[in-house]
Amino acid sequence: MNPIDPTVHQALDGELPPETLAPALRRDVERLQAVVALLATAPLVGSVEQRVMAAIERPAPSAARRLLRWAVRPHSVVLRMRPVWSLALAASLLLLAVLPSPKFGPQLGEEEGIAQFVGRFPGARSVNVVGSFNDWGPVSIPLEDRNHDGVWQAIVVLPAGTHEYMFVVDGERWVVDPLAGRFVEDGFGRENSVLIVRPLRR
Amino acid sequence: MRLPLSLLLLCLTSSLAGQSLRARLEGRVPAASIPVLDSLVEVAAAEGLPIEPLLQKAIEGGAKHVSSERIERAVAANIDQLRQAKALLVQAGDTVPVAALEVTSVASALRRGLAPSMVERIVASLPNQPRSSAFHALADLTAHRFNPDSAADLILAAVGKGMQGLRLLDVSGAALQELQRGRTRAEALARVRAKLPNVPPAPTPAQSTVQGARRPSATAQRQ
Amino acid sequence: MDVSEGPSDAQVVARVLSGEHEAFGLLIRRYEPGLLRYATRMLGSRDAAADAVAEGLVRAYRHLASCRDPTRLRTWLYRIVANRCKSHLGRRPTGDVSLDEAPPVADPGDNEAALEHAEELALVERALMTLSPEKREAFLLKHVEGMSYEEMAAATGERIPTLKMRVHRAREALLEALKEYQ
Repeated sequence: MNPIDPTVHQALDGELPPETLAPALRRDVERLQAVVALLATAPLVGSVEQRVMAAIERPAPSAARRLLRWAVRPHSVVLRMRPVWSLALAASLLLLAVLPSPKFGPQLGEEEGIAQFVGRFPGARSVNVVGSFNDWGPVSIPLEDRNHDGVWQAIVVLPAGTHEYMFVVDGERWVVDPLAGRFVEDGFGRENSVLIVRPLRR
Repeated sequence: MRLPLSLLLLCLTSSLAGQSLRARLEGRVPAASIPVLDSLVEVAAAEGLPIEPLLQKAIEGGAKHVSSERIERAVAANIDQLRQAKALLVQAGDTVPVAALEVTSVASALRRGLAPSMVERIVASLPNQPRSSAFHALADLTAHRFNPDSAADLILAAVGKGMQGLRLLDVSGAALQELQRGRTRAEALARVRAKLPNVPPAPTPAQSTVQGARRPSATAQRQ
Repeated sequence: MDVSEGPSDAQVVARVLSGEHEAFGLLIRRYEPGLLRYATRMLGSRDAAADAVAEGLVRAYRHLASCRDPTRLRTWLYRIVANRCKSHLGRRPTGDVSLDEAPPVADPGDNEAALEHAEELALVERALMTLSPEKREAFLLKHVEGMSYEEMAAATGERIPTLKMRVHRAREALLEALKEYQ
C-alpha cells in the first residue's frame, strides 16, 4: 500500500485548506471526496420501524430462549475425530440430505396474504409502493426492474384486508396504480389505488 | 377536589391516547397541525368513532407533503364520513355501540362512491355479518357501470345461497369476467346468478410466488 | 418535513422511559437513515443491514435506561449497531465479500448519467469491501457519517490515535484499489 502525502490527510481531516496543496495531491483529495459523495447519497435500505416496534411490543425473550437461539445460530466448530467416527458422521449427514427438506420462504400468519405489485415505468431509477400498510412510508417497499425492461415488480407479504396505496417513482412522483382496478379519492385532490389482500391460509 | 374513579380513568386514558397520537404523528405531519389534529381526534373519540382511519389520513397527507390546512380539512371530512356511516348503521338496526370495523367499512364504501341508499340496503340485508366484502363487490360492479340495484340483487342472491366474505368478491369478479368476454351487463349478471353458488374462486398464488415474497421491512431501497 | 422542529433526543428518551413506548418510533425515524446507510456499507448487503439495524434498535430500546447521556444518543446508537455489524461479519467466512443486491442499473437508452452513477458506485463499493472491517468502519464513521474523532471513539471504544491511523490507512487502500479498477 502506497502511503499518501501527510498534507492530503490533513486536508481531509479539515486541518489544511485543499487549495494550498500541489495539484497532484489536490486530485487525491478530490478523488476521495467523490468516493464519499457516492457512498453518502446512494439509495440504501428502507425503514425497519414497523419491525422494531412490533419486536418491542413483544416481551423480551427469557435467558433460556436466548440460549436456545444462540444454539441454533451457525457457529464455526472444529471437530477432531477418529476416521471410523468421521465415516459414520458422513453417512448420517448423507441420510439427512436425502430426507425431504423443509420448504423455504416466509412463514405467513393466519391473517396474512400475498400482494403482487407491477408497474411499467421505463427510465425510472426507483419505484416504491407506499400505502396504509406501511404508514405511507415512502421507502420501505421497493419494486425491482430485474430484466431492465422498465417493468417493475414486487411480491410482498401484507396483512389480509383492504389497503390504499400509490407508487412513488424516483422518490418524488406519486402515481396511482393503473392495474389496481379499484380507486378511491384520497381527500387531497387525487386518487389512491385500493387493494384487497386475501389471507393465504383459509 | 375528589374526582370519581371513572373520571380519573377517562383523564388518564385521554392523556395516554394524546401521547400515543403525538408519537404516531411527530416527524410525519407538520408540527403546527398536531394540536389541531389532536382536538379533532378527541372529538371523534368522544363520539365513539374509530380513530385509526383519521391517524392514517393525517400520516398520508404528511407523506404526500400536503399543507397543514389540507390535512386538517381531510381529517375533518373523514370524521363527517365516519359520522354518516355510524348513523346509517344505527338507522339500519345495528345495535349501539356499533363495531368500529363496520363503521370504517361503511365509510370506505361511501368513499368508493356507493350511494347511501345502496349502503343501507346491504346493511339491512346482512344484519349479523361483516359487510366489507359485500360493499367492495358492489362498488366493483358499480365502478364498471353495472346498474346498482341489479348488482345489489346479485350480491344478495349470493348471500342467500350461503356465500359470504371474500367469496362475494369472486361473484363480482365473475361478472366482470363475463363483461370482458363481450356479454352485456344484464347478460353478465344473469349468467353469474345462474351459476351461484358455484362461482370459481380466485386463484391462490403459486408456491414459487409465495416463496419469493418478501416482508416490507426486509426489502428496501432508500431515496 | 423539517425534523429539527421536533423534541430533543433527551426529551424523547425521557418519554420512552416513562412508559410511552410509541415515542421510540420518533427516534427510529430520526436515526435509521444513517444507521442503515452505515450498516449497508459495512456489510455489503441490504438485507443483512436491515437485520443488523433492527436488532440494534431493539437492543437500544431494551437498554435505553443505560444510555448515560441522552444528548449523545446518536453515538450510543451507532455503537450498538456497529457491534451488531461485527457480529454479522463474524458469522461469515473470511474473504466473503460478495455484494448481493447491487443497485439497479438504469435503462442505458434513457439515462446515461444514471448508468454512469450506478457503475461508479459499484466500483466504489467493491473497493470499500476490500478494506478490513476495522478500516471500513473507521472510514465510514469519519467520512460518510460525518463523526468527529471524539464521537468515533465513543462509538467504537477505540483510542483516537488508533482511529486516525485506521482512517489514514483506509484512505490509502481505497485510492490504491480505485487505481487498480480503473
